[in-house]
Amino acid sequence: MNLKDCHNFEDFKKLAKKKLPSPIFHYIDGGSDDEVTLNRNTEAFNDYDLIPNVLNDVSNIDMSTTVLGEKIDFPLFPSATAMHRLYHHEGERASARAVEKMGTIFGTSTMGTVSIEEIGQINKGPKSFQLYIHKDRGLTDNLLERCKKAGFTSLCLTVDTVVAGNRERDRRTGFTTPPKLTLANIIHMTEKGSSIDKSVIDYINEQFDPAMNWKDAEYCVKKWNGPFALKGVMSVEDAKKAIDIGCTAVIVSNHGGRQLDGSRAPFDQLAEIVDAVGDKIEVILDGGVRRGTHVLKALSLGAKACSFGKGYLFALAAGGQKGVEKILANMKTEINRDMKLMGCRTLKELNRSKIIHRRN
Amino acid sequence: MNLGNCHNFYDFRELAKRKLPSPIFHYIDGAADDEITYKRNTSAFDDVDLVPNVLRGVENIDLSTTIFGKKIDLPLYCAPTALQRLFHYDGERAVGKAAQKFNTMFGVSALSTVSVEEIASLIDTPKMFQFYFHKDRGLNDAVMERVKAAKFDVMALTVDTITGGNRERDLRTGFTSPPKLTLSSLFSFAVKPMWGINYLTKGKFELPHLQDHVSEGTSTAVSIGNYFSNMLDQSMNWKDAEKLCSQWGGHFALKGVMSVEDAKRALDIGCTGIMVSNHGGRQLDGSRSPFDQLAAIVDAVGDKMDVICEGGIQRGTHVLKALSLGAKACSGGRLYLYALAGAGQAGVERALNQYRAEIERDMKLMGCTKISDLNRNNLRFRKK
Repeated sequence: MNLKDCHNFEDFKKLAKKKLPSPIFHYIDGGSDDEVTLNRNTEAFNDYDLIPNVLNDVSNIDMSTTVLGEKIDFPLFPSATAMHRLYHHEGERASARAVEKMGTIFGTSTMGTVSIEEIGQINKGPKSFQLYIHKDRGLTDNLLERCKKAGFTSLCLTVDTVVAGNRERDRRTGFTTPPKLTLANIIHMTEKGSSIDKSVIDYINEQFDPAMNWKDAEYCVKKWNGPFALKGVMSVEDAKKAIDIGCTAVIVSNHGGRQLDGSRAPFDQLAEIVDAVGDKIEVILDGGVRRGTHVLKALSLGAKACSFGKGYLFALAAGGQKGVEKILANMKTEINRDMKLMGCRTLKELNRSKIIHRRN
Repeated sequence: MNLGNCHNFYDFRELAKRKLPSPIFHYIDGAADDEITYKRNTSAFDDVDLVPNVLRGVENIDLSTTIFGKKIDLPLYCAPTALQRLFHYDGERAVGKAAQKFNTMFGVSALSTVSVEEIASLIDTPKMFQFYFHKDRGLNDAVMERVKAAKFDVMALTVDTITGGNRERDLRTGFTSPPKLTLSSLFSFAVKPMWGINYLTKGKFELPHLQDHVSEGTSTAVSIGNYFSNMLDQSMNWKDAEKLCSQWGGHFALKGVMSVEDAKRALDIGCTGIMVSNHGGRQLDGSRSPFDQLAAIVDAVGDKMDVICEGGIQRGTHVLKALSLGAKACSGGRLYLYALAGAGQAGVERALNQYRAEIERDMKLMGCTKISDLNRNNLRFRKK
């Protein structure tokens, strides 16, 4: 099996499994507790049906949209994820190049293994930095300033990792980040970050600030003073608060089922959030996306775009830059094909009339 | 396993699997993406229960119905499907003759492997032609004229294949038309030598409606997905459909309508029927199943045009459920294709005979003696 045999998510996953040491594979693949939410994230899409229209001249399809202040070629982007060098020796260098080539937003994590500055050099397209608020507040200010200088176009504050989820696969495999791995963004700031022979869970619990509140988020919004997303919002109430503190977007997400098991799937919760705030703030769906039709379903309910993590990480592990390019190209092809089969020429034509919940 | 052991859809499927080289079997058996819609097409029927009436004197059952102005003896017919001579060397000849025996509609695909002229000379029962709108307008006109001259009863324009579906099984097996031997598919053909002998000795593989205009599909091997994507006209719109409808001048249907809005427009442009269909789950995965969408469409246009429920039919009771919701008839592809692959004309006859027996038995058990006895009072949607 090699890259050219990878037609879908499951294929990339299979190839990644062959290439990665099992603790690392399971770190990507796993969720928390019994992984009920992880599984529901994808299954949720199957309770809704698309209803196509026919005879609508679909010879030209425009998949572009504007998210977080940037125009992207198609309505899907990779979410920021940690430690790419665990998955491929080129790490974020590979994913950043691939994403620039495919014309969508690249996200890099506070826990990235290539520095903000180097990403800024490599990727000239839209870039988002995903921020974890550490107990050491000086670190936050430093990171924001570096991102501005490096040309990042948006900031994304993750709010669903106040404590680490119960990732039991990691306990069983004994997953730790290898001693030689460097968290390039925080190496100079915290001793723990430079040589973290410890589990990600321990790192989150020791370094991230569980006292983080709306005031802290508001501080970041003001400090950043540009397109800003809250990632991990699941309730309508919180989505409204995100508007109040000046966010550009909310990313409806449960962290890929890796945090609170038994919590709601983003797609199940999407309509409610769109109905409440969709006209005032960009709503992005993150989690469970495996197919072009999943993106179409989310957009039909009113999401502005979707993001995904596991899919492109498996692709990164499977084939580095080429792997990430291939999965993004596959998804782009699927979205294009599915738009044609739906009889839709622009993303605007996707609306609630094109989708129906099956158990109404 | 042989024909005598085939009692239902799954038995025929099993027999076909044993007879066909695996790329060809999976071409029939497969669907788009994760095949979720394909599975839902059948499981949708299980969310609805039949409620029988008793003591109604059911010794004589009339299964006949009239669609597109033609009386047929069975409310189920053979939907047009492509490439039948790849499945059995008699191809459309076998299916056509079997359909004639049961006096039901026989659908012939634009991608059929036997010509409309030959079909017309073989059978005198109702015939439907399925039309693909090609970029090549000369081809479109020529096909239209030939079908007219062959005196087919119904023209059905397929509208759900504007581009090829993502049939991943075909990507893996390398299925093309005509079949192409590759290093990886060699074994799957070599283990089914009878298929190979028949393919090579029982007449040349042809696509008689297309091959004078395009080489793709006959002398140039292409996947069906690529054929749709490259040969069909993606700019096709309602004006084109209206023109074809008046050019035909007889009973005209749109095949692959799923929205109420489109069903109404079909009526406006002069169609006399629609097939509510998602192409057997082979095009847009995640799209609605025909049976799930049937009631909404029947409510909107069912009194003004023939609404056919196509897709997922594997049992007589499925037909009864669709008719109870207001479909005029049902149609299907796999329900006779596995039988064709398994045993040619005898296979298709056995399959149709079983469906007829099931529908008749189920009518009796429902306390219904004619199709018009079936209505929504017979059904309860099970709340989940």
